[in-house]
Amino acid sequence: MMNIRRRIAMVVLAFLAFAIAVIVVAPMVGSTSISLSKAFGRSVDWNENVDAQIFFVARLPRVLSGALVGAALAAAGVVLQALLRNPLATPFTLGVSAGAALGAMVAIAIGLDVGWFGVSSVPIASFAGSLVAIGIVYALATSQRRGLSTNVLLLAGVTLNSFFSALILFVQYVSDFTQSVRAVRWLMGDLDVGGYSSIVAALPMLLAAFGVFAFLPRTLNLLTLGEDVAAARGVDVMSAQRWAFFSASLATGAAVSLGGPIGFIGIVVPHLVRLMIGSDHRIVLPAAALFGAAFTVLCDLTARTIMAPLELPVGIITALIGGPFFLWLLVKRS
Amino acid sequence: MAARQTIVTRLTAVAFCVAACTVFVSHAQTNPQRIVSLVPALTEMLFAIGAGPQVVGVSSYDRYPPSVTSLPRVGALLDPDTERILSLTPDLVLTYGSQVDLQTQMRRASIPTFDYRHGGLDHILVTIRQLGQRTGHINEANALVSGIETRIQAVKARVVGKQRPRTLLVFSREPKTLRNIYVSGGSGFLRDMLVAAGGEDVFEDIGRESVQATTETILIRAPEVILEIRSENIPAGAELDSELQSWSRLSTVPAVKNKRVYFVTGQQMTVPGPRVADGVERMAKVLHP
Amino acid sequence: MSFRARATPGRRPSLFLDGPTLLWADNVSFRYSTAAPLVVNEVTVRLNDGTLTGILGPNGSGKTTLLRLLSGTRRPTAGRVHLDDRALDRMSRREAARHIAVVPQETELAFEYTAIEIVLMGRHPHLGLFTVEGPADIELAQQAMAATGTAHLADRPFHQLSGGEKQRVVIAAALAQSPRLLLLDEPTASLDLGYQLEVSALLQRLNLEQGVTLAISTHDLNLAAAICRDLIMMRDGRVIATGATTDVLTPENVRRLYDVEADVHVHGDTGHMTVVPVRRLP
Repeated sequence: MMNIRRRIAMVVLAFLAFAIAVIVVAPMVGSTSISLSKAFGRSVDWNENVDAQIFFVARLPRVLSGALVGAALAAAGVVLQALLRNPLATPFTLGVSAGAALGAMVAIAIGLDVGWFGVSSVPIASFAGSLVAIGIVYALATSQRRGLSTNVLLLAGVTLNSFFSALILFVQYVSDFTQSVRAVRWLMGDLDVGGYSSIVAALPMLLAAFGVFAFLPRTLNLLTLGEDVAAARGVDVMSAQRWAFFSASLATGAAVSLGGPIGFIGIVVPHLVRLMIGSDHRIVLPAAALFGAAFTVLCDLTARTIMAPLELPVGIITALIGGPFFLWLLVKRS
Repeated sequence: MAARQTIVTRLTAVAFCVAACTVFVSHAQTNPQRIVSLVPALTEMLFAIGAGPQVVGVSSYDRYPPSVTSLPRVGALLDPDTERILSLTPDLVLTYGSQVDLQTQMRRASIPTFDYRHGGLDHILVTIRQLGQRTGHINEANALVSGIETRIQAVKARVVGKQRPRTLLVFSREPKTLRNIYVSGGSGFLRDMLVAAGGEDVFEDIGRESVQATTETILIRAPEVILEIRSENIPAGAELDSELQSWSRLSTVPAVKNKRVYFVTGQQMTVPGPRVADGVERMAKVLHP
Repeated sequence: MSFRARATPGRRPSLFLDGPTLLWADNVSFRYSTAAPLVVNEVTVRLNDGTLTGILGPNGSGKTTLLRLLSGTRRPTAGRVHLDDRALDRMSRREAARHIAVVPQETELAFEYTAIEIVLMGRHPHLGLFTVEGPADIELAQQAMAATGTAHLADRPFHQLSGGEKQRVVIAAALAQSPRLLLLDEPTASLDLGYQLEVSALLQRLNLEQGVTLAISTHDLNLAAAICRDLIMMRDGRVIATGATTDVLTPENVRRLYDVEADVHVHGDTGHMTVVPVRRLP
């Protein structure tokens, strides 16, 4: 007799162990070797302890933000794929990341220079941009009929992506050379937060989104069969869709503001996880979040060691892995 | 006898006239009178060697000397306005080496171009001489170059033998944080200026004009001086404090510990033109007070 | 073994004596948006406990929409639907789903699930928010699959099954909801003849042996004739005839419904009815 509860628990625990292992080991590894005993010991004063500063100021925040961004994007990917009933959906499909990018570019172009609680203007502007995008897409999707039409949602998202991309091009055009360089670099993703304030700033949004994610899995399973069938099985479809849309978009907006629009995590990780353990969202959602965290940290580790002493942007590594994977996925499905 | 003398005289006179005419004509051909410059550094050079009156159009980013503000603008590196350039009927156009489309168009219109490529400190001086030749101000160009060389030599002499601080030369970063830090990577005119001013580029071994520095690499390389370059907007007062505050997180870095974080501002620092001597002197003042 | 969680104890379903009214649609109408025409127009339907009713009509007659109104997944623009003596729109979706299950015409999955996972999803209205299916739920799911002859397909991926197998698995999922009423939308429309017979036999068995009340929307006259004891005939959103099949399935009504002249035969000993279309009427 199958024991579903045990299966869920065991698989999730396995992924948790993997994620913890990666997060613990990653700050110890880098382009330079550091002495852990010195870093953690009390013998050397903080202001003299280079090993400690490398561990606690340079690497650990980087690993933590990588884990948060990876978990958020992977989980958002799972939720949006279920919501749109489309395995090719990504967290960026609905225009949230385009809104974030536009916010960031505008902040760069107008030389916005305000900071809040140790967070500079670009992440704040990019989060604001993502909220604008969420609002527009939701308003469009609910404008036609009572309820949330997932088709209109998808179309609105795709349209918004194109429109915002055009605006981004315009902003780039009126920017000067330095601003363009900054903007292009931001688009490649950067997890070197150099401190904990950005992480702390993004944490409330991420925790709120993950809080909602905890309630979604079985509903997402039921939505797979279609809105009518889900409703007939007892799901309040409109409410479920709203919660799924807002939580996934919030997670995406916060993740993009923290680390830039790092691509492919939101599609590679959900698919890998489904390949490993099936489609039951009660396992897939937590497993994807954990695997996404580990995956991103590993990609960032590669990015900062493979071409030492130079570092590559993490978005390039995820694209190098994700691009061919995505192609393979398309071929396999057809 | 008289007839031969007359012929010789006449021939000599004709030869003299022809020679004079040739000299006159070729002199007129080598001296462009309507110069359009897309490169701010080259504009500065033109004015510094006395070719200012010959300039009829400048780029959108030209700021110095102040007289250029009244001149028509023709775009810049990414967006040269070909129509505007042609409407000014130039006889010499100064372009960036990478603006191949523009160069092709000028060639079609039979307008000569001077194509400029970025280089080190020496290259700036070479370019000044080249422009001197092209515009007929060879003497002024040579004088300018000598002047710059003398000043730089004076700085070098002052700092010779002194210990060269390992310097992080910062071009840009996100305001108020340590993200997206771009620094000198051991090559280019700013690195040359740093070396002339008695400093050592902390990323010298990379050999690139610009690299992105991460918190980890800065901590490892531990620069003794941090020099942030801004073309304008000198931070002062509270803003300066908060900018310096961003670096305080990396307290093991000698530059932070010894409070040797400086801002050097002004276009002398960002335009590879005749004011480089100013830039070198300012850097030296900061590195070796 | 019965799937009716709320069966009146000790009462066996009777063939000809109808039970109390289970579901009553009282003069309901529906339009999809304010500018659209009425798709269901002042329809009254009574489904009594233990009956097997066919909702018969051409495409576009409003049958599917009527089913949505009966299951409660859409609220009528006018009129009300009652379950037992309670208003359906006053109940939560979850509660309604404990009584009423729906089998859609086609099932397309976005992701791969096994057959047993699909069937287990039917237990949703009976589970708390974070409750995982326990042994009792798994047992019920397995029984549902046994009743539909799909037990051997439990661990097969759903998309690898044949049309008939898929339909029977979906019916098993609906049965796993332990419903009192099962609504089916064109259950045999996309099936081959063999599967059509399989599924019709299954539905009849569920009704007669398990006592599940069934309402089937279909445009297949012979399916309706074969298994439905009562008929509701719909055209252009209105009910044009309703009653026992033997009374209502006449050439006259077939003509009113389909603009088709047909012969209706009743086979002597079995009472089995068949409809043979003769020709189209202008």
